[in-house]
Amino acid sequence: MSQRPSTLPITLGGLVRIQPLASASRLHFADPLRQVEQVVLAQTFERLRRCAPHVLVVLHDTAAAGGWSLAAALHLAWERNVSAVVVSGAVAGSAGAALAERLNMTLLAIDSDPVDVALQLAGQVSAPAAARALGQALCAERLAEQTHVRGVLGVLNSELQNAPVALVIGETAVAGRVAALQDKSNARRVEVEVQGPDEQPWARLVAAVPVNGPMAVEQVESLLRLARPSLQAAWAQTRLDSTVHSAHEQAAFGLLRRLAAEPPPEAPAGPVEIETPPWSSELGWQVDGVNRAVWLTPLRPSGEPSEEVTHLVRAAWQRGRTHWPLVVDGDSWISWHSSEDPDDVGPLRRAVTAFRDSAAAHRLVIGVGQAHPGVAGLMRSVAEARLAAHVAREQGPAGVQWFDQVGASAALAWLPTTEIAQVADLCLAELMDARDRMALVQTVLAVLDCGGSLSQASQRLGVHRNTVLARLTRARQLGLAYDEPEQRLALHVLCYALASLWTQSGTDE
Amino acid sequence: MSGAATWISAADVPALYEGAKFYAPAVGDAGRSSLTSWLTGLLEREGPVALHRVETMAPETPCVSLCVLGSGSALADLPPAGDEFVAAIRQIEQLQGVRFGAVYPLAAATVSALVPVAAAAQLGVPLLDADGMGRAFALIHHTAMYLAGISPTPLVAFGPTGDSVLVDARTGARADRLLRAGLDTLGGWAALASYPTTAGALRRGALPGTISRIANVGRVLLQQTDPDLLISRLAAITGCRRLGRGRISELEQLSRPSDGSIPAHPSSVVIDETDGRRRQLRIELRSEIVAVFANGELIAGAPDLLCLVDATRGTLATLDNLERGDLVDVLVTPGDAVWYSDEGMAMVGLNFHGIPLDHPRRLRGEP
Repeated sequence: MSQRPSTLPITLGGLVRIQPLASASRLHFADPLRQVEQVVLAQTFERLRRCAPHVLVVLHDTAAAGGWSLAAALHLAWERNVSAVVVSGAVAGSAGAALAERLNMTLLAIDSDPVDVALQLAGQVSAPAAARALGQALCAERLAEQTHVRGVLGVLNSELQNAPVALVIGETAVAGRVAALQDKSNARRVEVEVQGPDEQPWARLVAAVPVNGPMAVEQVESLLRLARPSLQAAWAQTRLDSTVHSAHEQAAFGLLRRLAAEPPPEAPAGPVEIETPPWSSELGWQVDGVNRAVWLTPLRPSGEPSEEVTHLVRAAWQRGRTHWPLVVDGDSWISWHSSEDPDDVGPLRRAVTAFRDSAAAHRLVIGVGQAHPGVAGLMRSVAEARLAAHVAREQGPAGVQWFDQVGASAALAWLPTTEIAQVADLCLAELMDARDRMALVQTVLAVLDCGGSLSQASQRLGVHRNTVLARLTRARQLGLAYDEPEQRLALHVLCYALASLWTQSGTDE
Repeated sequence: MSGAATWISAADVPALYEGAKFYAPAVGDAGRSSLTSWLTGLLEREGPVALHRVETMAPETPCVSLCVLGSGSALADLPPAGDEFVAAIRQIEQLQGVRFGAVYPLAAATVSALVPVAAAAQLGVPLLDADGMGRAFALIHHTAMYLAGISPTPLVAFGPTGDSVLVDARTGARADRLLRAGLDTLGGWAALASYPTTAGALRRGALPGTISRIANVGRVLLQQTDPDLLISRLAAITGCRRLGRGRISELEQLSRPSDGSIPAHPSSVVIDETDGRRRQLRIELRSEIVAVFANGELIAGAPDLLCLVDATRGTLATLDNLERGDLVDVLVTPGDAVWYSDEGMAMVGLNFHGIPLDHPRRLRGEP
């Protein structure tokens, strides 16, 4: 960053943020980016005729007698291409405002003495750096008042006008204007790193500053720096809020689950209708209708997710449908959609589709349960969704599986493939040492899946029948005797486990 | 007396009144019925009045101008007894030892255009088809005669209560101020006889043909109700043109303090143009319409004659009856050439009304 203060002229937008123009009423405000190079106190129309473009004109005396004089002054100002006209509020009526709008000429009405105002403005315009510093100080005050990330970005974007600003985590803009990230030949990118509470880099503030605009790069950069403490505070506040909310939801769901598992002791035998507890609606939950659960789970579960990940998943999931809950359950998240119509799967499909990009980014898979009524139905749907999610893992990241379409093959998803692979290491040591073990296991699996038909297996694998035959012979030599009836089931399971393990990891290592 | 004359009879009175209103649009209709019925009765009794062109009169014929000084509403409150104008003339005659052979209006506009007709009928002298303004200006020395070096004094103002003031002053401006100082005491209005001179002097000093003109304009105004047709016929007689048509969006009454030189408070009417370029027209008022701005640009101003036509009824819109939402046409009629000379502009131009802008005719390079 350059240490030399910018000598660029101040803009109209910059001037109206500080006194005396901050308290002026804007009868018409044409262009905040108009530069103001000089201030002219115009007492006569002759003085107005001699104005250069880009001056700010303060009218007084004869030129501000009201009625026709304001109209004529506005017309002359328009002819001279001045930046703005300032006039006493006593003479600026609605007709003056209407004319300013027609001419698209900025017209500001002041209550104080025009001569005093002109003097103050002349001081500000002659020392633009000082005026900008004052503007920044006021902006800092506004930033400090913000308690949300969006509010902070809103202040920055309103202050910087034509230089869009975004808050970027990774490569994603999480707040502000996405235009800041677009590469434009006529804009310079300014980036300021924002640290999290743990003093680690957390995000970046990115602004695209137009090359020919009235804003200096260092001016933008210092504003972005000013915004950092407010952002950190807002982020910490959000984290605090979401942690409390998350814990609240987790506890509430636990209670719901216990209600479904342990019906009240005095209840009669048989199916019990569990009344929806009133506290669930305090959380914004709907449980009364038929509920279809969604289970969001990592492709490779590795314990309870961090609060940050939960926060991001929640933000992605709830984008556009904020009334659906998201409850942390072990290493996964549960959500559900409640409606009156069990066949109403449209909203859920849209939600799942909208979430797929985020699911891919976080390497999650999605399982969807069937629709069941009430609290007990919700718990049943949750179990189904969980099962479906296990099956979805076969599809890799962002895989989606609906329980309705899973069937009995869901059982396979529960196989402890890692443990079974360890069994293979012990029982089929020769095979596991072979370099072509992957092709051999896949061939044997295909033949078993096809009920022993070599031709069907060769079609499925896309190889010649003789190749299948040759691989089977070699597999048998290495200990994979697939055609012995008493070992067939075990070997089928073994091959399935190895194949799915290798498919998931993308390698046979 | 030689040469042909036309005649003004009782039947011409309504047309004269309407035409006089066109040349002084700021004046309301307050005294209309009493004044016109008085004049009509007079003309019916005394017969028509002869209207002579100035050049047909013998040059040495003594002439005197007449007008109503003061406000129209005062005239309506305290109507003339009938002898005020003759009495004013008689006082000057006595002072100067002459007998006036003709009378003429100081301004062929407003009620001031009608009173010389009445006086001519009462005195049995001809009326001259000429006046000093060609319209109405605010002050008594704003005349073509004054520009030609003819003095307005000695003058007599005769009030409705029987009192009179005789003024002999060194300049027209001082005469005007002396007169106005006594106007309230005289009864709010007065019959003014001034500019005693000869027909020869008036040939070079007065504006000719202005009485016939208001009669013709009046006839057009009485006949037509379609505003477009009305304006095109008026244009044929007066050279007027339409500046724009629009709805009144604002009436800024008494919005600004007066600078003291003009006997009326400044105010403005804002009109949003409904067709064409949809400009904002701003009409500045003093005792008359003194300027029209379009989007802040001065497009017409004194000494142009500016008036408004009610575009729904096809009648002249008087300034005291305007209301928000009225649809009006803004008309500009060029004044007599004498008013666009440097001396004329200095006397009745925009600067006199406190508007220090160049006249649009000057900006366009017109003489």
